[in-house]
Formats: sequence, C-alpha cells, structure tokens
Amino acid sequence: MKKNSGASMSDAQKFSLVKREAIYTGLALVGLIIFWLIAGFGTASLDVKIFHLPLWALLGSIGVWFFAIIISAILSKVLFKDVELGGGEDE
Amino acid sequence: MNEGNLSALLPLIFFMAVMVGISIFVRHKQAGKNFVSNYFIGNRELGGFVLAMTTVATYSSVSSFVGGPGMAFQVGFGWIYMAVVQVTAIFLVLGIFGKRVALLARKLNAVTVVDIIRARFQSDFLAAVAAFVIVLFFCGTMTAQFVGGAKLFSAVTGYSYEAGLILFGLVVVVYTSIGGFRAVALTDTCCALIMMVGIVLLLHYVLEAGGGYSQIMTTLEINNPEIFEPFSFGNMPWTIYFTQWLLVGICTIALPQSVVRGISYKNTQGLHQAMLIGTVVVGFMNIGINFTGILAHGVLPGSAADYGGVDNIIPTAIVKAMPPELVGLAIIGPLAASISTISGLLIVASSAIIKDVYLHYAEKNNHVVTPARVKILSIAATAIIGAAVFVIALTPPSLIWLINMFAFGGLETAFFWTLLLGLFWKKANRLGAMLSMTGGTIIYCATQAAGFKILNLHQITIGISCSLILFLIGSYIGKRSDDATLEIFFPKN
Repeated sequence: MKKNSGASMSDAQKFSLVKREAIYTGLALVGLIIFWLIAGFGTASLDVKIFHLPLWALLGSIGVWFFAIIISAILSKVLFKDVELGGGEDE
Repeated sequence: MNEGNLSALLPLIFFMAVMVGISIFVRHKQAGKNFVSNYFIGNRELGGFVLAMTTVATYSSVSSFVGGPGMAFQVGFGWIYMAVVQVTAIFLVLGIFGKRVALLARKLNAVTVVDIIRARFQSDFLAAVAAFVIVLFFCGTMTAQFVGGAKLFSAVTGYSYEAGLILFGLVVVVYTSIGGFRAVALTDTCCALIMMVGIVLLLHYVLEAGGGYSQIMTTLEINNPEIFEPFSFGNMPWTIYFTQWLLVGICTIALPQSVVRGISYKNTQGLHQAMLIGTVVVGFMNIGINFTGILAHGVLPGSAADYGGVDNIIPTAIVKAMPPELVGLAIIGPLAASISTISGLLIVASSAIIKDVYLHYAEKNNHVVTPARVKILSIAATAIIGAAVFVIALTPPSLIWLINMFAFGGLETAFFWTLLLGLFWKKANRLGAMLSMTGGTIIYCATQAAGFKILNLHQITIGISCSLILFLIGSYIGKRSDDATLEIFFPKN
C-alpha cells in the first residue's frame, strides 16, 4: 500500500495535507476547463465527423467525461492520501 | 383514477413499496443507537459506493431527466457540451470539502453544515440565517421536484396529476421521515441505479423506433443542421455556457445537501472511491439522457412546440417509442431522480430546524430534551416540511423550472464563499460571513425579482460577485476570529 495511512499524523499535518489536496482539486478543475474549451470550441471549425458526430461534439461530451474520469482517478488514486479521521469512526 | 394505464402503474407501486421497505428496515436496524447522529447523517457509516450514488442522486433532479433532454432535442449537441460541465460536481465537492468537513465534524461533534458554520464564525445569528436560507430555498427546489415528477407521471400513465403526487410524493415524505439519512442514502443508491437502467432502456427503444442510429443522424444532418453547431445558430449564446459553468458546475460545491455528505462517510478510502465512481456515473447519466433527447427526433419528427414544449419531449418519446408494458419501468428513472432529490433535501431541511435551531437553543438555555422527544420532533419536522411542500405542489405555481434554478443560485450565493473562505482562509471572520450570506442573498433575490441582468448573464453572476466583495470587505474591517477557533480550524500542532 503506497498511501500514507495517516495514523501517525498530527492535526496540523492532516489539515495541511487536506489543504494541499483541495489545491490539487482546484488545479484539476482549471485543467478540465482548458480541456473543455479546446475540445469543444477549439475544434468546432474542423470539418471532421466520427460516427456522424462532429469532432467538437464528440470531444466536447464523451471526451470531457473521459478526461474528468482520468482526473478523478489521478486525484483519488495518486495524489490523495488516506487520513485517519478520528472520532472512533474509522476502520 | 381509473382511466390510466394500469400496467404503467404497477412497477412504480412496486418500486415505491421497496423504498418504504428499505426505510422500515433501516429504522429497525438503527434502534438503540444515537438518534440524532443516525437520523441526520447515518452515524458516519457510508461506504464509497453509497456515498457516490447518494451524492449523484441528490444532485440529479427531475429537470436533468425531463427539461434538460427536452432542451437537447431543441438545441442539439451544444446542450450536451454545456451540460457535461456537471462531471465536475462530484470530484470537486468531495475533493475540496470532503476530508476537511469530515475532520472538523468529528472534532466538533457536528452533524450538519450549519454546526460547522456556527463553530467557525461563533455566531448563532449566522447559523439561524443559514438554517432559514436552507429551509426556504429547499422548499422551492422540492416543490419543483414534486410538480415535475407528478406532471411526468400524469403525461405518461394517463392518471391524474394528483394521483401521481400522492403515489410518489407522499411515499417519499413517509420513507424519509421514518428512515432518516441512512434510508435516504440507500434509497438514493437504488434510485441512481434505476435511473441508469431507465436511460439505457429508453435509448434502446428510441433507436429502435427511429430506424437505427445511422438513419436518425442522417435525417438530422439534412433537416436540423443547427443541432451540429455549438452555438446552434444563435440558440446557445456564450452567456449560457458561462453561467452554466457557475450554476451547475463550480458553485455546486457549496450546496449544503452535497457538503453534508462529507460528514457522513466512514473513511477516506470510501471518499476516494466515491470521487471516481461519482464522476463516472454523473457523466454517464448526463450524456446518456441528453443524447437520448437529441435522438428522440427519430420518433418525434416535429418541433418541440408541436409536442407542447421541451418538457413534453421525454414523456412523449417514452409513450411513442416504448412497448406499453415497459412504460412503467421507463418512468421510474425520472421519478427516481425526483424522489432522490426530495428525500436528500428533506432530511437536511429537517436537520436545520431540529438540530440547528431547536436543539441548539434548548442546550443553550439548559433545557433538557429527552431522546424520545428528539426522535418524535425530528420525524415530525421531516413529515411537516414534506407535507407543506406537498400541499403547495397540489396547486402548482407557474414557471416552476425558473423557481428551481432560482433556488439553486440562492443557495450557492449564500454558502459558496462562507464555506470556501471560511474553511480555507484564516482571515475569514464573522462580519465577512454575515455580510456575504445576508447581503449576497438579498442582492441575488432582488436582481431576480427585478429581472436585472448584466450582459444578459444569469443573476448568479451578480449574487456570487457581490457575496465575494462583501465577504472581503467584512473580513478586512471586522474583528479577527479568536485563537481558540483558529486552532480548531487551522491547527498548528
């Protein structure tokens, strides 16, 4: 298990980690907005169709969805660490 | 109510019976545990899958399944391109607030979002305003869900609007009142699964009835070229794209009904799973149902106006494309979207009244409230709010979809900066939060009432901007939060 269990972390360390993860999420949002702009408006002038769909419509819908899934996977599986939440509720 | 299609009614009756059964089972299992924690946040026991599904189901309303795809039918792929911004909703709220809210809730023994706001800004007044805003705007949203669901029921089954309202409206109030948050989470999961099944079923039959994908798309290329253009020949101006990014994308992270899910999960492994599962599911639903709306041209050759407007596209497509014996299954999907949103809002509205107002003031004034009394009052508050909204929906107000979006924007204006800056910025203080929540919400409501817009953008842009400015002004001229509070929210050790 590569993730930090968070069991030995102090409160300050936990809150610092959580803040860093929130920043990662914000940056992921910025990345998604840029991808959304390029995938849709950026390719709208291209006369390319796949399965009867204009490229902008395909990239701007399914493309954006797949990109969001990749972002969520990177955030949740790579960048985010496990933290013991306290209060006796953790496993 | 004997003029309708009985075969369309039976699956719905069965589905609602299962929802009530789940609720009774949950009530039975929870007997003997801490009632308040159990009833309002499910004792912080949600796993990743249920957390994802309940967050998605509460977020996805009946308008996502009826009005949205109807607009996609009219506008085309530009509508899907705009609606797909909602794929951000789950990973944003869980990624930004999920862990912080969970850590704080356990430290403060908080059960609601208002509990956390009260502790951060040390203000009963602000907490009372927050509770009031939640109940007020939630009632608007719930009314829209009741009305939208009952109209869909009536259009598809042939039974009356009132019959639909009683069948699914009263049942959702009953099962939410009995089972509380845990029942809401589990029924939401069933609802999300049935929504996905409903989308697949409808898509299949629309394609079949329309002569197949290639034929539908070829006909659209000839007859409706605007559908293939991002601005849809002027039907999709840039202002809609911009405001939708705020209204149903970025600002949704502060919706109390979403943030409270951060208090309810068991451990961070579950949170991480939920971020991924939720993003997959919300994208599937969004693209699936809106694409089905476009493909409905294969069975509905006229314009949206020919079928009574965009709201009637999906109900008409269901009736025209699906075999009569499957119509009942098909409408469970959109109705599930409606009831899952109602139940999610109802339990948070109830917690705002009982936990945030009543129990807080009882504790402050040293009034002892017995567990039995808390239990009765909580169930009664849930039932009374639900019943009140049910009565409003019996005589449906006009422009119901505008009321829904109005409520969405109001909640975002009130909570976005208060939560975001309050939880991540040390200089955020009581005055800033008060000015932001009260001033921003009042300005938002006033501009809505006056129909005032800037650059023809939705009033959320004015509300959210004023809310930020007021927060910053208050935070710079107001008194800094005390050290004890800051040590809880921004610990140094």
